[in-house]
Amino acid sequence: MDITLFTSSKGPQFSHTFFSPNNNGDHIALDMHSNANQQHSHTSTSRSSVDSAGGVAGCAGEPYGDTTGNKWASKLLKECARAISDKDSSKIHHLLWMLNELASPYGDCDQKLASYFLQALFCKATESGQRCYKTLTSVAEKSHSFDSARKLILKFQEVSPWTTFGHVASNGAILEALEGETKLHIIDISNTLCTQWPTLLEALATRNDETPHLKLTVVVTASLVRSVMKEIGQRMEKFARLMGVPFEFNVISGINHIGELTKETLGVKDDESIAVNCIGAMRRVTIEERERVIQMFYSLGAKIVTIVEEEADFTSTRYDFVKCFEECLRFYTLYFEMLEESFTATSNERLMLERECSRSIVRVLACEEDEISANNYGEECERRERGRQWSDKFKANNFSPSGFSDDVVDDVKALLKRYKAGWALETLPQEQQQGGDNINNNNNNNHHENAGIYLTWKEEPVVWASAWKP
Amino acid sequence: MLEKMAEETISIPNGFVQNPVGGSNPSVAKKKRNLPGTPDPEAEVIALSPKTLMATNRFLCEICGKGFQRDQNLQLHRRGHNLPWKLKQRTSKEARKRVYVCPEKTCVHHHPSRALGDLTGIKKHFCRKHGEKKWKCEKCSKRYAVQSDWKAHSKTCGTKEYKCDCGTIFSRRDSFITHRAFCDALAEETARVTAASNMNNLAHSGLNYHLMGTPLGPTMAQHFSSIFKPISSSDEILDQTRRGLSRWMGQGSQAHETIGNTLQEIHQLGSVNSVPLYEGPLVSCSNPPPSDYQLNWVFGDKLSSANVEALSSTSLLLSDVKEAGTPLVSVPSLYSSQHYHQATSASMSATALLQKAAQIGVTSTDSSFLGSLGLKCSNNQVQDGDKYCGLYGSNSNTIGNALGSDVENSGSDITTLNQLQMYPAKHRHLQSDDSSGGQTRDFLGVGVQAISCHPSSFNGWI
Repeated sequence: MDITLFTSSKGPQFSHTFFSPNNNGDHIALDMHSNANQQHSHTSTSRSSVDSAGGVAGCAGEPYGDTTGNKWASKLLKECARAISDKDSSKIHHLLWMLNELASPYGDCDQKLASYFLQALFCKATESGQRCYKTLTSVAEKSHSFDSARKLILKFQEVSPWTTFGHVASNGAILEALEGETKLHIIDISNTLCTQWPTLLEALATRNDETPHLKLTVVVTASLVRSVMKEIGQRMEKFARLMGVPFEFNVISGINHIGELTKETLGVKDDESIAVNCIGAMRRVTIEERERVIQMFYSLGAKIVTIVEEEADFTSTRYDFVKCFEECLRFYTLYFEMLEESFTATSNERLMLERECSRSIVRVLACEEDEISANNYGEECERRERGRQWSDKFKANNFSPSGFSDDVVDDVKALLKRYKAGWALETLPQEQQQGGDNINNNNNNNHHENAGIYLTWKEEPVVWASAWKP
Repeated sequence: MLEKMAEETISIPNGFVQNPVGGSNPSVAKKKRNLPGTPDPEAEVIALSPKTLMATNRFLCEICGKGFQRDQNLQLHRRGHNLPWKLKQRTSKEARKRVYVCPEKTCVHHHPSRALGDLTGIKKHFCRKHGEKKWKCEKCSKRYAVQSDWKAHSKTCGTKEYKCDCGTIFSRRDSFITHRAFCDALAEETARVTAASNMNNLAHSGLNYHLMGTPLGPTMAQHFSSIFKPISSSDEILDQTRRGLSRWMGQGSQAHETIGNTLQEIHQLGSVNSVPLYEGPLVSCSNPPPSDYQLNWVFGDKLSSANVEALSSTSLLLSDVKEAGTPLVSVPSLYSSQHYHQATSASMSATALLQKAAQIGVTSTDSSFLGSLGLKCSNNQVQDGDKYCGLYGSNSNTIGNALGSDVENSGSDITTLNQLQMYPAKHRHLQSDDSSGGQTRDFLGVGVQAISCHPSSFNGWI
């Protein structure tokens, strides 16, 4: 099997040399079902041509549904995942081939999902996940620059509150917790490229009282981010000057494990009021290390710790491939659909974001845990956990939920109003309310009431934001 | 009930305890408006407790005890009681001007010398500064203590448009701010600034402080301080603004008269009101030779007497400036780095004087427009002419209703301006002044070079 299939910059399209379906219906090196002897047309991005060829539906029969309908990708992908889990190689081949025919990173949602998940499934089946991930990452790094990153992230923030939700909530919590303090030190361990801070700087500048001194220490682990941090720092400093906020900016890079950070390495001084801001970074910590990181936060003596994570669970299911796959598919289906509705059809930014997802998906589904720690990739784990799971961890480590004040909640709601319809703020995700165990729910409801707010899209919780105090 | 009210008032040394229900007697003479916070020394000072101040029905009918919010309403009501003629007349005292102090001890208006003349005014002040902000805007969740402030804001909320120097327009403030922080226009300005020669920026802070003599109303202050905030001084500020102005001023125009011409053009353009406001600081953000010094004093005088709230008054400045003539002409010279040295020597005395003036004139409120604009000019590395251009778009809207100009107008103004610069003026509007002397050089000559860098910043990153 040719792993180099994935090095083409166009994306994870299979090369036809692998499967080489020709018009005779001859399939080389594949053990296909007898149904597959029908002719299949060339892969195309439009569904209609698939249908006109007689379609996969005819080939595969009812279980895969009608390709003109929705969710064909989901069904096929899940079947394939099950086949991989069962190690049914003929079925695996068959399904991989079918997905390959139908998938495209440039098509509609289903086709995209099929394409990216197919890549992960393929890697899983061929045990080439690690290599694939490395290749994808290096490809991305080459085309990565300050300009492209900036354009991407700002455009995303403009069309969707996915990230700005966390920004507004965290900034609000930080401002309130550090109200009246004169020397602020914010430790930022995030994937936001500092886009959260201009609004905070502006808020500090327009406060009624004395403008405090702000020191911002950014911790960078992802290689992609390191390269642009210098430029970002300069912009932040300039902007702070513009706002009239005394400002100091530090970058800590070269750290492989966040848990190793200490007060000294972060430059925490005794007269400073500390806030720790952790957006989209907890999931990148290896699962075993997570408790340690939370303890490290505690040791910094922060007045407030803000955590924002995406609402998905790839952690508790990590030993059950099918469950993990289904959860992954569920989450990314939401995400891709959200992207499709938020961006224009031809948006390049959306394509970039989708490609980022492809790396994540490969990482979660096709990379073995022991491989990761052995290779010492640092914090690139990508195994998300739900808000409730993070909450439990924080509570177990001497943190108590700080909650968001009414003002902050109002701010967030006002923010959501500024975007397209479909977004809402919830204090509890739906499933908790529908939980089967009523007794537990009643007890837990109070517990979880303050443990964060959820951003929901079409009533599905997607992002969780919380604030913690020691 | 009247007695009860009396109990609540605080007695003060100046005046005597007054019955707050006394009401305002209509004065025959036209009321002369003093500057806010500088009351008529003859006036009677009234200190009300917070409770009394905020009481909604302060005017009580002596007959039935019904309370009314306004004296006029009470009088109307009293008519209904069919009082005999004698009692109909109010116990008339001599019409005495009443001024009110803020009950909050830590407030600057607590002292009788800084009392406010209007009861409604003191009520609003008390609410705004010391009150709980009960009213909240739905759209942006901004909070207000005074209902009328909230209503006024709700009308304009979301209708503002923010324009960045790079040309992008935003309807949302948060995305504007984030964009601004990362925009190339910001970065380019600083790059140019560090390359330019240094000037004494204190002089400029002086200039600007003097310029804006009157404190701004809270709304404007908020707006401005939100975009420009006093920051620690740095050396490159002036260069920044110099560059900025040259960029703003010229696309290669050679004649200095053009400036005056342009200003006149600006004045004639629809959205004049916003422009002059920036004219002021722009012009002042320079190291002026003596003639400019005069100009700035002119500005200063005009500004101090203007009602800051009514920005249209600043348009007067422009016309005055034009007539003053030459000083304007000499201003752009400062924006040419090549001619810098010549300008510097002549300007030292003026700037030193202005610096002194600044130290006297600085108000304590950091968020005042004065402070922010002035310091912005002088201290902010990033504050550049580009920004000013952008400001026409963004700030003219943030300043608010009075200006009434929208982004498009401002944008077209700028382009018009630029176009104007292209063509030398046919006739001089400005008097030739000996003091401006050797200012026959091509002030905007360097503008050409500056301009060449300019377009790229306008491209931004769109």
